[in-house]
Amino acid sequence: MTAITGTHSVHCGGRTITRPEVEDFLYSEADILDRWDYDGWLALFEPGARYEIPTTDYRPGWSPHETGSFVDDDWDLILARVKRLKSRKAHAENPHSRTHRLVSNVRLSEHTEDSFRVAASFVVHRARDGRFDAYVGWYEHVLVPTGDGLRFRLRRSILGHESLAAGARLSFIL
Amino acid sequence: MGSNPRTVPAPMIVEDWDQLTFRVNREAYRSAEIFTRERGWVWTHTWLYLGHETEIPNPNDFKVRTLGGRPLIFCRDTAGEVHAFLNSCPHRGTVLCRESEGSTRLFQCFYHAWTFRNNGDLAAIPDADAYESSDEFKASMGLRSVPRLEIHEGYVFVAFDPDVPPLLEHLGDAADYMTMIEQQHVGGMTTLPGTQQYSVRGNWKLAVENAMDGYHFAPTHNTFVGYLRESGFAVTDDNQYAYNLGNGHGLLVLTGHGGRISMLWEPRFGEDERVRTEQHRAEMTQRLGEKRAHYVADESHILFVFPNLLLFDIEGLSIRQLEPVAPDQTDVRAWQLVPRDEDPAARALRMKTVVSFVGPGGLATPDDIEAYEAVQRGIQATAGTAAPELDYSDMSRGMADEVKGAQGRSTDEGAMRGFWRHWVDAVGIDDGLAVHGERPTTFLEGRDVR
Ligand code: FES
Ligand SMILES: [Fe+2]
Repeated sequence: MTAITGTHSVHCGGRTITRPEVEDFLYSEADILDRWDYDGWLALFEPGARYEIPTTDYRPGWSPHETGSFVDDDWDLILARVKRLKSRKAHAENPHSRTHRLVSNVRLSEHTEDSFRVAASFVVHRARDGRFDAYVGWYEHVLVPTGDGLRFRLRRSILGHESLAAGARLSFIL
Repeated sequence: MGSNPRTVPAPMIVEDWDQLTFRVNREAYRSAEIFTRERGWVWTHTWLYLGHETEIPNPNDFKVRTLGGRPLIFCRDTAGEVHAFLNSCPHRGTVLCRESEGSTRLFQCFYHAWTFRNNGDLAAIPDADAYESSDEFKASMGLRSVPRLEIHEGYVFVAFDPDVPPLLEHLGDAADYMTMIEQQHVGGMTTLPGTQQYSVRGNWKLAVENAMDGYHFAPTHNTFVGYLRESGFAVTDDNQYAYNLGNGHGLLVLTGHGGRISMLWEPRFGEDERVRTEQHRAEMTQRLGEKRAHYVADESHILFVFPNLLLFDIEGLSIRQLEPVAPDQTDVRAWQLVPRDEDPAARALRMKTVVSFVGPGGLATPDDIEAYEAVQRGIQATAGTAAPELDYSDMSRGMADEVKGAQGRSTDEGAMRGFWRHWVDAVGIDDGLAVHGERPTTFLEGRDVR
């Protein structure tokens, strides 16, 4: 993980963004995902954004363009993924998994003129097929402030697991 | 291996050439006894895929890996030689290397600090004078190599039985399809870091069946087919075939679902990739000749090498290895195999494309996993019932063509039947196979691609 210091606010896009604002954004994203509101989720992205999940042997610095990953979605694939998840024919998520997400340890750092980085920890619990799995890891997001609030430019989930446990395939959004 | 009294109801496979049915006893997927037999017979007496040479490119590189439940060290010694050692200290059996990968000249056991060179030689024993100091003792305490190790086109195979036939004999026709992959690019192929490691709640044979099963593509991958259609690619099942390659190996030839980066272009890959693919195709024709280049480039392949290797030459190229953990659990490891010298833009497109389909986070593999996990749960319904004849899965599809000598289609179950016929032999269950009616003297196997 890239070290990100625990700043309380960053100056970005001509305004100051505070940690509570970012926390609220991440909490509401968690809520939207747990309610399976995928249109609402898509609205949290700027067009052209990316969604990535590296493999469990990931080392900092690896690029998804040069290594294997679990998810390496450009904007078209994010749209395809959402469309798929909304379909009754997404068999791996029909019926939907129940998830419950906890987001914590939120830290901000400035990145460029118009975007900034956020690191956070997550625990996602997921119930499916009579089983209950836990996924833990870190977020390394790039956010952009817009007139309508924050948006994802990069949404990245890095698993803390050594490998994905039996039944724990990533058919939902991590 | 002694033949224990059988507790599973015979037979495991029923072939009926009058009814044209082929049925597999569902105990094969859930019985602990069968699982133990597989460990003792298949996993102990067959060549197993260990890993690719390019995973340990430099002297002193190592990876640890488990095969058939046995912890192994897969390494390249200081002189550049590839080895597979049992990852177990010759002293008292401790797991010697507890890292998952790295580079080292010496492996030291933490328990009593015996130290071994990466060619297997014992380097040092603390307070060695308490032992009889003969060289013989020292020599007997070297790391234990797997009895057999052979490499074909960079794919490293091992066997725990010294008496297995030569690797190329075991691979048979499958060997050439592996060569075809190596021939795809003039500079050869290499694996990348970023291994998909995941586990599924299903028997390993369900993963094999799923890979050899073109019949499920349209219904199971409906959402992915929709994505392909929207991106301008016409999905079809025409001219797609399944081949038995002998020895349990199987091949699916696909032309109608999805392109492959640098090989089969699709609109979603974009104009730059179209030009690159055309140039590459022309180079291949020159290098390999028209006929060979056609087989190498114009069709997608899914190759199964009995018992634990799957090569998915679709989208890009994925190596998938199966490791049974329990009757109802399988560990899977998947690597991307890529051209050594690849344009960075093509590489980025390749990784995105492969991952979009293949793997536990893709748009298609999760539905495959859902399918065989659902089979594993569903087959409990007929377990131990009063009507044991119901406790079978049907794999008859395409037998009507098979008796006519017609080549089976990818949407048939012929490749699965080839797998199961070999499996029932390999697992050594007496009366495991029941044949009714007149069996064809030979089954169609392979084709001439040279
Ligand atoms: S068990 Fe390894 S040194 Fe004793
Ligand atoms: Fe599939």
